[in-house]
Amino acid sequence: MEDRFLEKVLDNRNVIVDLWLREIVPIKDENYPTTISHELIDEINREFVEVIFSSIQHQHDVENIEQFTEKLINLGWPLSFIVDGLQTFRRVTINYILTEFKQIDTDYFSSILEYADNWLEPIIRQLVNEYTISWEETVSLQRIALKELSAPLIPVMERISVMPLIGAIDTERARLIMENLLKGVTQHNAEVVLLDITGVPIVDTMVAHHIIKAAEAVRLIGATCILVGIRPEIAQTIVNLGINLSNFPTKSSLKKGFAEALSITNRQVIELKEEQENIEKLLDSLQKE
Amino acid sequence: MRIPILKLNNYLLVSIQIEMDDQAAINFQADLLEEIHQSGSAGVVIDLTSVEIIDSFIAKVLGDVVTMSNLMGAKVVLTGIQPAVAMTLMDLGIRLNNVSTALDLEKGLMKLHQELGG
Repeated sequence: MEDRFLEKVLDNRNVIVDLWLREIVPIKDENYPTTISHELIDEINREFVEVIFSSIQHQHDVENIEQFTEKLINLGWPLSFIVDGLQTFRRVTINYILTEFKQIDTDYFSSILEYADNWLEPIIRQLVNEYTISWEETVSLQRIALKELSAPLIPVMERISVMPLIGAIDTERARLIMENLLKGVTQHNAEVVLLDITGVPIVDTMVAHHIIKAAEAVRLIGATCILVGIRPEIAQTIVNLGINLSNFPTKSSLKKGFAEALSITNRQVIELKEEQENIEKLLDSLQKE
Repeated sequence: MRIPILKLNNYLLVSIQIEMDDQAAINFQADLLEEIHQSGSAGVVIDLTSVEIIDSFIAKVLGDVVTMSNLMGAKVVLTGIQPAVAMTLMDLGIRLNNVSTALDLEKGLMKLHQELGG
């Protein structure tokens, strides 16, 4: 019996495609108001329905679906569109078969449902799988990127390094921060490290504990750690939580911290007067002429 | 095996290059204090560059040696503590708060020099 239905569906594919396209239009309008052109949507829809048919025709041919999914993922097409499209396709096909055969009884009806499921299940599974794989890839790539970005130590000057911290700090990241801090200090021979927490949104007891630990470890290997970028609200939280940060120097901004670092390493910034002198010379020479 | 303690002008230099067991640590403590007493040195640099592991007992002995030396009037600087060692000490909850430190032997000597006023 299945072959009979299949034949019917395949023979009348054009009718079904038309029905499907008519059904899919409202969904399409809802989901993609402006960003994608109508021509492209039509083109994709036609290709989609082709892929569905070819997959139903050759049951185990997954290559087409794979290629099609890849294309959709690259276009940034949402998964909901695919699922909606397949659901609509099932409904349209079942309705079509029912109207064509004009035979009503429960067994018959349920067998049609089953066949339609059998045709479409593998496609849905395949599509969802492809999407999931692509998402997982993205997530893992981002995790790596995040890890690389999470604790960079920048040697800004001889004997002075800066570590800017941005974003929330958890235990794993705190460990990474401490490792990078200590390795960087020995590697760059830094005497002063500025730990900049301007970009850390929340400093609770846990974060403060990690920062204190890192700063004390830095002191142990023979350098000084200055905590900079303490915003007013962070200062309030720290005091309200009863955290003691008095063991190492703190400053409100990186600028002030850097000045402190310079004075610890016995240096200072001297502005050169050359520019002013050059302008004066220029004026003198102009006056002579 | 005893850890050699070298005299340099007014200072004593110690470079720990063996894996210290508890007995060696205690011997070292006694030797260093004896040497400070004999030479009347004003400063001590203990270099830990080649020390890869410090357990809680060794850490305690080091902290004690520093306090004892300070009592005897000799200022102590620990130098060259490895990142891994520092992290272990932090994890063990050992802070060594009263100890001054420096990145390497050279900076340690500079620090002593500064603190003792030439």
